[in-house]
Amino acid sequence: MSQSEPPGGVFGLSYDRETRVIESLKVVSTAIIVLVGAWPIYWMTQLAFTEYETVEDTVTVFPTPDIFTLDNFNVLTEPEMYTYMFNTVVVAIGTIVTVVLVSLIAGYGLARLDFPQKENFARILLIGYLFSPIVIGIPLYQIWQNIGLLGTRFGLIIALSAISMPFAVWLMWKYIMTIPEAHEEAAWVDGASRWRGFRDVVVPQCRPAIIAAALFAFALAWNDFTFAQILLPQTDTTTFAPGILRAMGQAQFLPQAYLMAISLAMTLPPLLFAYFMQSYLLKGFQVRAL
Amino acid sequence: MPDIEIRNLTKVYNESGNSIVAVDDVDLTIEDGEFVTLVGPSGCGKTTTLRCVAGLNKPTSGTIKFGDRDVTQKPVQERNIALLFQDIALYPHMSVQENMAYGLKISGFSREERMARVEEAAELLQITDQLKKMPADLSGGQQQRVALGRSLVRDPEIFLFDEPMSDLDAKLKAELRPVIEKVTDEIGCPTLYVTHDQEEAMTMSDRVAVINDGELAQVAPPKEVYDEPASQFVSQFIGQPSTQFFEGNVGAVNGTAELDVGGYEYALARDGLEGWAGEDVRVGLRPQYIRVSDDPDAGIPATHLLDEPLGDATHSFFDTEFGEIVVVTDPDFEGNGGEYGLVFEDDYIQLYDNDSGVRIA
Repeated sequence: MSQSEPPGGVFGLSYDRETRVIESLKVVSTAIIVLVGAWPIYWMTQLAFTEYETVEDTVTVFPTPDIFTLDNFNVLTEPEMYTYMFNTVVVAIGTIVTVVLVSLIAGYGLARLDFPQKENFARILLIGYLFSPIVIGIPLYQIWQNIGLLGTRFGLIIALSAISMPFAVWLMWKYIMTIPEAHEEAAWVDGASRWRGFRDVVVPQCRPAIIAAALFAFALAWNDFTFAQILLPQTDTTTFAPGILRAMGQAQFLPQAYLMAISLAMTLPPLLFAYFMQSYLLKGFQVRAL
Repeated sequence: MPDIEIRNLTKVYNESGNSIVAVDDVDLTIEDGEFVTLVGPSGCGKTTTLRCVAGLNKPTSGTIKFGDRDVTQKPVQERNIALLFQDIALYPHMSVQENMAYGLKISGFSREERMARVEEAAELLQITDQLKKMPADLSGGQQQRVALGRSLVRDPEIFLFDEPMSDLDAKLKAELRPVIEKVTDEIGCPTLYVTHDQEEAMTMSDRVAVINDGELAQVAPPKEVYDEPASQFVSQFIGQPSTQFFEGNVGAVNGTAELDVGGYEYALARDGLEGWAGEDVRVGLRPQYIRVSDDPDAGIPATHLLDEPLGDATHSFFDTEFGEIVVVTDPDFEGNGGEYGLVFEDDYIQLYDNDSGVRIA
């Protein structure tokens, strides 16, 4: 049904009144969803810009000029925080690159090549998605310890990639299946090898799926607490999420306003990423039968 | 430039235990510069044959040679062919220019050389002003021109077409046909064109290969396929409206053969019917060679059902004791549901073997 078309007979009113009722209900429900989603972010943001003594003493709803400050963000310049941020960025980028590369190749294989038990392979892949990080975390701790990956960013990247992989591979598989095989065959006729055809013809057309998979991996890696806590046990190598918790436990006094400043710094990148990539993201998720 | 030599080509698909013979022992030679169209109903194995020649499918048995070069085991990349796809298959993320230059880029031509060749081809195809556009901004006909250009710049050894116009409307088809002929003439290589559209087959080909159930039914120049079909299938498949068939019996053969069709007698001045005296046969006649007489007693009595005026001719449908019969009538003919007599023109009557469908006379 198009938007201009009046919705028929839900309330038994005339077309015009029905349309008005539906429109206002839409606005109200949208407002509720936005409020629920945006309120915590707003609260965090306004506290991050308010002087920390004020935050401790009273409840404020907006950083008016007399209590406005940027000093809270000084906490980010502490060497510890800098390390956490650096580690988080490295791990996030590492995870994105691993997930995108592996899922592209695996998805292509599933979509285009015939091998025994292909369907079962894909199904088993999804089972991996059912385990929560904590279930895998403990055995991984022991394995990583044995092979020397414990406490390394590389080890965390592998663990996070493994967790994002089922979805990413599934997405790529289904997405590549929407690209007509004739495109590749045309490339082969033009003299391109299978690999060259994949690189020149398939990968560029997968951009929406690549962005969706990357965003998914990014969100997972950026927000990960469990794996980082277990696999990066030393304070000086850990990432943001466990880092903040440790800072809260270790510091004598960590004002709430500082905490909000740190949280805001951590929330912004995924927000911006999702905002600017949303058109691609939607395309990536539009694949049928996903 | 070489010819294409297809020998004993067979392709069997195995699907969950069932083996399906898609192409059955096909022999076909396409001379250098010759345009051969493979035509047949859907599922007859024509596209499979083409894909085997292209190297996109591996034949179960048989050989394919380009000139002296046996390419049966060669992958598609090493065959130096051009192929136009049904769904056009331009790279949607590249501009027209990049699309056309892609093959040259892979072969390692310099940028200047690529651009020079692309521009030359674009001029021939009249798409020079489209070069900077993306494929999605072009109409279907223009896209197919670009695909032609992509093949043209590479100067292929063999040109293959896989129903390239089936998604275009009739007017565009008619517009593109001469372009395709121009391009294949320009390259001058053997061309294999697959289509289910007999009009395309008849208008463009040097020879038409009619294929049915994976087997070649007839390979001959278009006019011959139309006038002298080798089997009932060819007669039925080629020509619009299709040949009308009746049950018949050959009577006494004495210089001329007597033919009995449901009680109506025809005398056929043909040779080679001696052995068929007294045999049941299948009788075919093109609707162009059935005459409509105003006298219901002349020939087969028929009740007029409806007319399909096409402008240059009219297809008229009649109800008779043999069922519905289509006749090509004068453009001014209007039946108005009246009673008529249908007269067969004896000279054009075709006879087929009842069991095998092979042409007798």
